[in-house]
Amino acid sequence: MVEPIVIDGIVYATLLACMTIGFTLILMSTKIWNFAYGSLATAGAYISLTAAEVWKLSIYSQLLTAFVLSGIVSFVLYRFLVRPLSQRGISLDGLFVLTFAFNFVLLGFLNIYADYLTNVFKLRARLFFLRGADIQIFGTPGVVIISPLLAVSIIVVLHLFLTRTKFGTAMRATIENPPLAGSVGVNVNLVYSVSWFLAGGLAGLAGALLPLWILCYPNIGDVIMLSVFAASILGGIHSIYGAVIGGIIAGLAEVWGTSALSGVFGSGVIQYRPLIPLIIVVVIFLTAPEGITGIEWRGKLTKRMRKV
Amino acid sequence: MAAIDFLLDMLATVGVYLMLTLSLNLDSGYCGIPNFGKVLAMIAGAFVVAFFPGRILATMLGMSGDFVTDNASMIFQINSFLASNFLISTALFIATIIVAIGFGMIVGYVSTRPAVKIGSGPLAITLLVMGEGLRVIGTNYAPLAGGSIGISAPDVFAWAGGDRFLVVSVVVFVFSVAIFFFVNRLTNAPLGRMLRAVRDNEIAAESLGIDIVGVKLKTMMVSSAIAAVAGALYAFYSGAVISTAYTRASWTFIPWAMMLLGGVANNVGVVTGVFTFVFLRKLIVMYKAELTPYLPFDVLWLELILYGVMVILILMYRPEGLIPEKRTPTLKMSTLKKMQKT
Repeated sequence: MVEPIVIDGIVYATLLACMTIGFTLILMSTKIWNFAYGSLATAGAYISLTAAEVWKLSIYSQLLTAFVLSGIVSFVLYRFLVRPLSQRGISLDGLFVLTFAFNFVLLGFLNIYADYLTNVFKLRARLFFLRGADIQIFGTPGVVIISPLLAVSIIVVLHLFLTRTKFGTAMRATIENPPLAGSVGVNVNLVYSVSWFLAGGLAGLAGALLPLWILCYPNIGDVIMLSVFAASILGGIHSIYGAVIGGIIAGLAEVWGTSALSGVFGSGVIQYRPLIPLIIVVVIFLTAPEGITGIEWRGKLTKRMRKV
Repeated sequence: MAAIDFLLDMLATVGVYLMLTLSLNLDSGYCGIPNFGKVLAMIAGAFVVAFFPGRILATMLGMSGDFVTDNASMIFQINSFLASNFLISTALFIATIIVAIGFGMIVGYVSTRPAVKIGSGPLAITLLVMGEGLRVIGTNYAPLAGGSIGISAPDVFAWAGGDRFLVVSVVVFVFSVAIFFFVNRLTNAPLGRMLRAVRDNEIAAESLGIDIVGVKLKTMMVSSAIAAVAGALYAFYSGAVISTAYTRASWTFIPWAMMLLGGVANNVGVVTGVFTFVFLRKLIVMYKAELTPYLPFDVLWLELILYGVMVILILMYRPEGLIPEKRTPTLKMSTLKKMQKT
């Protein structure tokens, strides 16, 4: 049997990495800090709850539902709100406000759905986890093995997609220089729509696995969002690979970091866990605003070696 | 009687939101800083009220015991002392407000400094994360504001006796009117033009010799000071500070909705927005009770959706709000010639 704190760290960090990939994808392609992103993950968590308790199905069979539903919500946000507004010449800050407001709409719907599940199906829908619905692989909960596998396969598939397929190349070109990509015949709007859909889907996927180990409530995505910001900034906001590294470091720092600190300062430290993203954000912005992938490590090392 | 209470409650609510929204208008509307952490400075002001005046009085009166655990009995003694001392109450009130202004400025500087040079997105996120962070500290660190249970604040208006509610509401409203004139004066001066120049085109503003980082930091300091005053007054008004009540939805998002409804970068518009919004909200609260039996969920969430949809609709169909921003006209040629002669 693995220690619960180890499982905590692995599950949280890998799911955070999945979410950070999606968030960074949106940030890279459309330059929008999507404040509504966290609630898409919560939507995934509620699909898992519905699958397990209402439809009486395995959660893993409904991962695709979570992916598609969150992806569609994200796509709708882009296609029917963000794109028309940016065509009308609203500033980027205005789009942040738009996603900020959309987040509250989503939160309202999630809370209503939670109330509906509580009142109609008599479920614990405001504070729940579904550890009991998980499968066991070699005596450990399945999510411990499946969530790292998922993170690895997402990054491999995305890597292959971006480097080996024609559409992926078009996507990278659009990220690099949208007008130029448009002038050589890339459908820029399609690329943006696909990246929003993919990003939303990844949030839904991560969210669907969340209740298998972590206590969920209607605000969970919104709370994890703070860590996603920190992870994305830590990884450098211009790289998907950085997002994975940032997500894993930030997630482990949050779970294992606080538990290590609580060994030194006493158990009171654990309550201050939400401050870790804050510290990461402040330290990164003050020291290396480009994040881990933005630092030119090679130059730094050779400079130091020259000094020696 | 009930009508008067309703009016006074509305007056105080309008006052608090007016201060917050005016300060939001100063940094987000005029200076273009997407401040998603308005709640941060508000919490700072409320924590000042929770932390300082009660402890000062407790030491002055020579009380023994822990201010947090024995809060109820100590506040009772303090309030009975304050009820007969108008001068000390008022001095304490003013001193607390001044301390809140100081802390608001510090919080404004600290929260803006890390990301001010990087861009508006990172700045927005830093402010948001900071706001959540201060609330987490307040909820878990009991000596600051009583932890998750909250803490009672000394009642500096206890001298008014039965008219306390009236006095507090009027004081809050008077403060908000004063702040309206202050912000209006600031933004209608050349300073306001400078802020708008920074908002509209940073590069152009920089080329004219404006120190953009400095301007943003100073604007955030002033606006956070105003928000901290709002927080302090709200804490005095409600008589207690409960950190969990300072949510992003009610103290960051609703001011944003009010500002967008009324008109960005227009103080009169902001006033209109706040009054309209508070009035609408009271209407919703009144009809809430009638809707509740028919719905299998809390009407509160419907309210949240309504505000979100409202903001989105405003952004889509009327981004300038109810009262659009006024253009600053250039001086007439004849006036310029007159100025040249003298």
